[in-house]
Amino acid sequence: MKNFIGIDIGSLATKIVLINDGKLLDHKTERSTYDFKRVGHNLFDDILSQHQLERKDVFVMSTGYGRNTIDIADDRVTEITAHARGAQYFFPDAASVIDIGGQDSKAIVMSKKSGSVIDFQMNDKCAAGTGRFLEVMAHALEVPIDQFGILALQSNKPASISSTCTVFAESEVISLFARGASKQDIASGIHKSIARRVAGMAKRIGVCPKLVFCGGVAKNDAVKKYLEDELGFEIIRPEYPQLTGAIGAAIIAEDKNKE
Amino acid sequence: METLEIFEEFSLYLKEMKSQGKKIIAFISHDNIPEELIDAAGFIPLRLIFAGNDELMDASHDYLPPSTCAFAQTCIGLFALKPRHFNFLDLVDYFIVSNHCVSDICASEVICKYFNIPRLNFYISYMRNPNSEKYFRLEVSNFRKNLEEIRNGPISDDMIIESIKKYNEFRKVIKDINNLDIKGSIKLKLMQKAFLFGPNILPELRDFIASNENSISNNSKSIDLLLTGCSIFMNDTLIDLIEEGGGNIVFFDTWIGYNYYSQQFKESTYNHVKNPIDLLASRYINNAYSDHSVPNFLENRITHIEEIYRNYEAKTGKRLGIINHIIKFCDHMSLMSSFFKNNLQEKGIKVLNVERDYSRANRGQLSTRIEAYLEMIQSE
Repeated sequence: MKNFIGIDIGSLATKIVLINDGKLLDHKTERSTYDFKRVGHNLFDDILSQHQLERKDVFVMSTGYGRNTIDIADDRVTEITAHARGAQYFFPDAASVIDIGGQDSKAIVMSKKSGSVIDFQMNDKCAAGTGRFLEVMAHALEVPIDQFGILALQSNKPASISSTCTVFAESEVISLFARGASKQDIASGIHKSIARRVAGMAKRIGVCPKLVFCGGVAKNDAVKKYLEDELGFEIIRPEYPQLTGAIGAAIIAEDKNKE
Repeated sequence: METLEIFEEFSLYLKEMKSQGKKIIAFISHDNIPEELIDAAGFIPLRLIFAGNDELMDASHDYLPPSTCAFAQTCIGLFALKPRHFNFLDLVDYFIVSNHCVSDICASEVICKYFNIPRLNFYISYMRNPNSEKYFRLEVSNFRKNLEEIRNGPISDDMIIESIKKYNEFRKVIKDINNLDIKGSIKLKLMQKAFLFGPNILPELRDFIASNENSISNNSKSIDLLLTGCSIFMNDTLIDLIEEGGGNIVFFDTWIGYNYYSQQFKESTYNHVKNPIDLLASRYINNAYSDHSVPNFLENRITHIEEIYRNYEAKTGKRLGIINHIIKFCDHMSLMSSFFKNNLQEKGIKVLNVERDYSRANRGQLSTRIEAYLEMIQSE
């Protein structure tokens, strides 16, 4: 077996990758919607047909929120293990991972000797510290989400956002704006807030360099910068930060097939 | 036997006991309630060991805020809603208010006050020293007097010693169940049933042990686990999630489990005892692992877990995962959870802190954490 598919079914986005002999051949991403099984099937069918592959030619490893439900998977692995392996695919000497997705965030520490996971921490109970937090705030300030980080980095005087709850923070943001704070300063305060929260969770398990920052939110330069400020060291981003989980799942499948 | 069937059987049992004139004495507190005295009085001790759900927790919010212990919320919710399988709670005659923790006190007081159940007080010192033993002895004596008043007659020393012997044997049998090499969920269900019915089902427990004592579990692929922290109560699906994820609990280091049966007397002790109240009081001072053992509760717990871990590793050659189960918002367990985990991980023992309430929405989050932890252990 040479072709391995990793499918990461997240609460917001489903990502699929095709790996052959350790090389990333293709990847696709689509919003999961309420019918993530259908989305997963469609992505799977697309990638097979585009590479002239049949079902029997591939081994499928699923991960993420919907890993146990998607019926095309041959095996499953949690997103913790998948992200750790995926980070090491891009950076073989990676020692820790921070992943900030649409509705959760996680921190993972790996063994420097073996690369296996030695501890992890998750936040999947509260929107604060996730991509959702940024989405809600960007909407409140009427700023496109892909511009939000750029706006934040324009600030010299970040506003202080004291609320830890997304709902109350949104009210606080509206109130700050009404009192004359600039969008840049508010945006910066919001990004610092998410960085502080995630860094707090990550420090509890002793994250250290090399730390790989992945997930959809990793594309946001302001979150990256403020995370580095909080952690006190530089963090690195893979070429495809949103695909780390899917890539990790595919590589784990390949590793297992070699054994 | 399924849990709901156990509840139905238990309901019939309690009704039968009630028809014989026996009083039902309920309590939440886990440690140090001298159920032997309740039994010696001819009454039935009923320990509330039932897991909750969203409806039960919601029903408690007329009495307690949501940011309180989910188990305490459940106990109140059970009395507020009296779901069909818990109609036996109507049979409770008295409720013991004790201070295992603040949530125990609050929930017990709420139940007594708002559901009109007469209360019996039994308070315990937090220290372990000669003065606290004297105080405990006083509480045990007073408890005896209260039970004698309800009974309208004395509880003789001989009656108490007979109950102590019976419960001591019961604890030994619970220990034997905990040590069987069978699937954790089967072991747990049996222990839970035992906690409900008490020594009355000793014959059934002994039969089960006899038919399983030489069994070797077919769980060679599953990861062996020790469960510590809060107990897994009846009708809780946590153990199913653990087993679905590939884990098997081989040792229950919780109140339904080791904490309970570790409090045994040696036969030589009670065969020569002059005053059984002194014996019951001595169990308090000797219960070094109890939650009421300041100072050094955390250190004692870490040493205890490390010892079990090393012995298990030496005996089986296998790794043992440690799951520290914390029911939100248990101050007692959650405030110490980081220290507990960090201390053990420094000794090379991996720990998963699982903090949860009884909400259905938790299922996916719990299963991800458990499965990720099991993957971590497997990759070692």
